[in-house]
Amino acid sequence: MGEYVLLMVSAALVNNVILARFLGLCSFMGVTTRVDTAVGMGMATTFVITVSSMADWAVETYLLQPYGLGYLRTVTFILVIAAAVQFTEMTVRKVSPPLFQMLGIYLPLITTNCAVLGVALLLVEGKMNFIEATLFGFASSLGYSLVMVIFSGLRERLALAEVPRLFAGPPIGFIVASLLALAFMGFSGMQTN
Amino acid sequence: MMPSEDHSTDFSAPPMVEGIARVVAVEGSVVWLEPEQTSTCGACSSSSMCGAKGIGTAANSLERRRFPMDNQEKLTLGERVVVGVRENALVKASLTAYAIPLITLLVAGIVAQGMVGNDAITMLAMVAGLVIGLIVARISAKRLSTRGDLAPQFLRRAHAGETCHIE
Repeated sequence: MGEYVLLMVSAALVNNVILARFLGLCSFMGVTTRVDTAVGMGMATTFVITVSSMADWAVETYLLQPYGLGYLRTVTFILVIAAAVQFTEMTVRKVSPPLFQMLGIYLPLITTNCAVLGVALLLVEGKMNFIEATLFGFASSLGYSLVMVIFSGLRERLALAEVPRLFAGPPIGFIVASLLALAFMGFSGMQTN
Repeated sequence: MMPSEDHSTDFSAPPMVEGIARVVAVEGSVVWLEPEQTSTCGACSSSSMCGAKGIGTAANSLERRRFPMDNQEKLTLGERVVVGVRENALVKASLTAYAIPLITLLVAGIVAQGMVGNDAITMLAMVAGLVIGLIVARISAKRLSTRGDLAPQFLRRAHAGETCHIE
């Protein structure tokens, strides 16, 4: 159990998808102007990354490795991710049409989110078993959601702050993101213990 | 200088997330509204080149996102209105749709791994956990829906040139 917790803390905080690996930056800047959209996007991404991590692990272990098809990995994973997004969209619509009306808008954006593909490729590199791969995907996406929510909160504050005209909008956003990345670097000290 | 008042921590009356919808059908006391292209995808400057556009986006799923509403304001066909949902409704909705199935999936997987330790069995347990989670999510979504937490509410008629004003 302890190793799972370590794996999750490492994936969520120490090697945070956004602030340590610099994946998924487009959605990080794009949908973080409001906390609620960041939560919607973060939760949807968490679900898709976890499901696609499971599917990607199975495809890698039972299809690509046994038949020596490693060179098709990227293409296959993209296909699996697109399928996972469609699956999620269909499921949410089936589970509750009102929920789909509220949340459906975030789903197509995830297909082109590089964090999803990045996590899938990282878990192949890590040579994990199935449960570890799933927990790694889940924790990575939880770290992604956490940063999205923190950053959207900061940007809501920034919208009220008086910023020099030159820095207003995205520039000050990038500066805040860099400070946030510095703060998250503090977690890398945990790695050696 | 006046210290700026902190509205973001006032949760007593959660603000509304607004959107613009167009009346596409009037059936007695019920109107059917279709949301206009929302900001996330449509307003993006690269939307014309965006590869995600064809895959079930707002552009081609608008028709499926139509929703009914009581016609108390005597709305007519083609009229544009501003509708809103409570801001925390979005959080509640995403927790219901995504967090419940994820939790059951992970719990089932960890329990199966602890008991058996075989990848194939863990996988089956996780799929079963996901299905159970989806059923639970369906039930709680119905409950939210009957309480009216998810339904958009009529706020006002839209002005002639009004668009979504999300930065």
